Amino acid sequence: MATDSDFKKKVAAAIASPKLSQALHLFGDAYLIARENAFRGLDFEAMRSELAAIKEDVRIRRKELLAQFIKNAEAAGSTVFVAKDTREANDYVIRLAKERGAKLIAKSKSMVSEEAHLNRALAEEGIRAAETDLGEWIIQLAGQRPSHMVMPAIHMFKEEVAELFSREAGKTISPEIKSLVDHARQRLRREYFDADIGLTGANFLIAETGGIGLITNEGNARLCATLPKIHVVFAGIHKLVPGIEEAIKITRLLPRNATGQLLTSYVTWIRGAVPSNGVAKEQHIVLIDGGREALYESTACRDALRCIQCGACANVCPVYQTVGGHVFGSIYISAIGIILTAFYEGLEQAKEITRACIGCRSCVAVCPAKIDLEEIILHLRNEVTREFGMGVVKNVAFKAVMKNRGLFHNMIRAASKLQAPVTRKQPGEGRQVIRHLPLHFMARDLTEWRDLPAIAPRSFRDLFRTVDQQVADPLYRVGFFVGCGADFVYPEVGISLIKVLNHLGVTVVFPEKQSCCGIPALYSGDTETGVYLAQQSVEAFTEANVDYILAICPTCTMAVKRDFVDRLADQPQWSAKAVALSAKTMDASAFLENVLGASARLPALVAGTLAGQTVTYHDSCHLKRGANVWREPRALLGKAGYRIEEMKNSDRCCGFGGTYSFLSHPQISRQITADKVATIQATGAATVATDCPGCMIMLKGAIGKADEGIRCRHTMELLAEALGEGR
Amino acid sequence: MPERLLAQFIDSATRVGAQVHRMGDLDEALNYIGAQATGTTLVPSTPLSDRHSLHRRLAEAGVAVYTGPFRQAGQMVAAGVTFANFCLADSGTVVLESTAEDIRLATTLPEKHFVLVDPATILADNLAAAAPLRDLHQGGRGCFVAYITGPSRTADIERVLTIGCHGPRELHILLVAFLSNNLLEN
Repeated sequence: MATDSDFKKKVAAAIASPKLSQALHLFGDAYLIARENAFRGLDFEAMRSELAAIKEDVRIRRKELLAQFIKNAEAAGSTVFVAKDTREANDYVIRLAKERGAKLIAKSKSMVSEEAHLNRALAEEGIRAAETDLGEWIIQLAGQRPSHMVMPAIHMFKEEVAELFSREAGKTISPEIKSLVDHARQRLRREYFDADIGLTGANFLIAETGGIGLITNEGNARLCATLPKIHVVFAGIHKLVPGIEEAIKITRLLPRNATGQLLTSYVTWIRGAVPSNGVAKEQHIVLIDGGREALYESTACRDALRCIQCGACANVCPVYQTVGGHVFGSIYISAIGIILTAFYEGLEQAKEITRACIGCRSCVAVCPAKIDLEEIILHLRNEVTREFGMGVVKNVAFKAVMKNRGLFHNMIRAASKLQAPVTRKQPGEGRQVIRHLPLHFMARDLTEWRDLPAIAPRSFRDLFRTVDQQVADPLYRVGFFVGCGADFVYPEVGISLIKVLNHLGVTVVFPEKQSCCGIPALYSGDTETGVYLAQQSVEAFTEANVDYILAICPTCTMAVKRDFVDRLADQPQWSAKAVALSAKTMDASAFLENVLGASARLPALVAGTLAGQTVTYHDSCHLKRGANVWREPRALLGKAGYRIEEMKNSDRCCGFGGTYSFLSHPQISRQITADKVATIQATGAATVATDCPGCMIMLKGAIGKADEGIRCRHTMELLAEALGEGR
Repeated sequence: MPERLLAQFIDSATRVGAQVHRMGDLDEALNYIGAQATGTTLVPSTPLSDRHSLHRRLAEAGVAVYTGPFRQAGQMVAAGVTFANFCLADSGTVVLESTAEDIRLATTLPEKHFVLVDPATILADNLAAAAPLRDLHQGGRGCFVAYITGPSRTADIERVLTIGCHGPRELHILLVAFLSNNLLEN
């Protein structure tokens, strides 16, 4: 069983050889462009909502659809076997092979056969499995497992492939991609002719017809299904769809989202026993449960079975791009892999990868089946914590300290004094930062590559009393949910927000009893602390009786807006209050733009001294993909007089991920942050703006070490500056 | 068949690497095949190939039409010639009802696949093709329907698009009017 330190070693090894990561970055960038082109003129949101609805219907009617599929398939001459687990599925194929005297099985790509370790089971019985998909053949020769669902050998380079091919062929094969593909074409052709059985997967199983569908590019699945006299289909039971229309809708989404193709080279619809060398072909369909029924029964996780296996969640994942699929996954990789591993291989097997998700929601944004992967992963992380614990540091931090608001806030005040010996003034910041961390339990690595922010000498809650708000006839009275980042690290952001709001005729209230939003505890799997903290803040803001609640941290915004409601849903005395607050809560930029129409009012108010200062904007994960706010800060900054120079992949995660970058996986964060800093530098802008204190911690820290000519500011600070209220 | 769909089909199929040609008549198409198909050529017998005397006319055009059982034509065959049932304009796809094994062999084994298409059978997209696809499944018997979009391809080595993995390296789509506007035959 893999332990924590095994996993950390794998991460370290992956990071130490950056060639794969570089290739995955290039692929990720190319993928985004191809995908955008493939969906041009189509409504992706509508398409994925439709697919989610189809799959939801399948979940509910799965027993009925399975029976219908079996009836129609058998009527067309297929033999159908339902295997409760992968072992039963393997045994079925082995028995069939023995009965028919089969020695060779030509296989096209089947992920469920990887899940079943079918090749190994066959080999133990003296039956050879010939993988014919190019990528699968490569990894079979290398004795590895796939590192990507669509491109199994994405982690290999042509030189390595040439070496494998040369060794197998007993002659030198040139490491030129065209030659390698030609070699595979020649070499594998005889396998289809020699094989006694052809085995394929299935992208869908159509109840209406009893037929299967294969969505492929190379043409090997068609050969496997045609030449051998027996055809075995290996498929998970979740591949069912009611009818032809629903199957067609999958063919419209899968290739576009997987590879940016409008359609793959081949979409093959096969039903029943088709003619084969003058007789009816023998076709066996092995339908595999293997943990899927249990997954369907899990209310929190079952949406994962909507997956159509396009691999997009890996393509856009910054963690996958940093460490690759052999580290970040098991049989199935990346976000969906975390969930499927937990159900198909067991929670313990998924323990480490569950914690390796940085929570940026990139995968959620591109999932064609509208699966909230992050939400399910968080749920599993809670399960992991319940089962295996959270670790001592987090345990003390969350349970003992954070649940006690007074203690938490006093400890931070004390810390601001104690940290003095390790802080220094960072050029361009006018503020202290921590260059080296004395805490012996933290990895030295933490401050090697970035400065950590020092705790502000006076927190926002202390400074607030000193701010003089003079607003005649205020339009609104808003409550400020400060969040830990702005309270203790960047109180100046909160002060800037007050100044900007006052200029626009709004007064700010600060309910003292509010506490941390609870997300750090929750993301670490500590639900109990999360619920307790939600109650504290709900109480504070209900008492304050304000028109709106604003946050300058998107994680806090989403906590109040969405998570408090979920966390308190089954507590009647709290749930109505949480819902009422949710309706009034928004991010500060969204409020300024969408409620106050600030961008139209700003030009008349700004001091006009900026003269086109260039700013590049970093979209924080939870602001863009959680709150859907990204136009607003750009509009505000633009009208305040800044010139916006867009960076590449502005909505790619900065690497922060809360406790992820401190405790869970600082090494992975470091890589992701380095990517972000490079794209910021490439714009030539002297200022990077963002709307998230978490991103600020990461960016200020990393930029501080990498490039002292660039400053990082919250949008509120830049607006205050434009209004002549800069610090 | 609106000209717009035809233009879209030609554009989409060309984008995915098919070679698309508008032919004046079937003879012009067969002469094209005669010039391009060098070596053993599989031509399945179908209602349309019989109606258009395809075997005889291809032989006259200089094509080495294979006359034995297709499984014995060798593992690597030079060419295959078929008709299509219908096409999809948005993705540049040709659709072949391929239940007869000879059609499958003639479209999977060869280096080059020549497909004769009547422009009257071009449909807008795969949603528009749901009805004929369902019709091809009528009767409850075994059936095999192939959607083919461009030549065989892979990106399994270093994510570099490479043409001609296991299926045909070349797909030639020859547009000839008045072959058959019946979507259920090829």
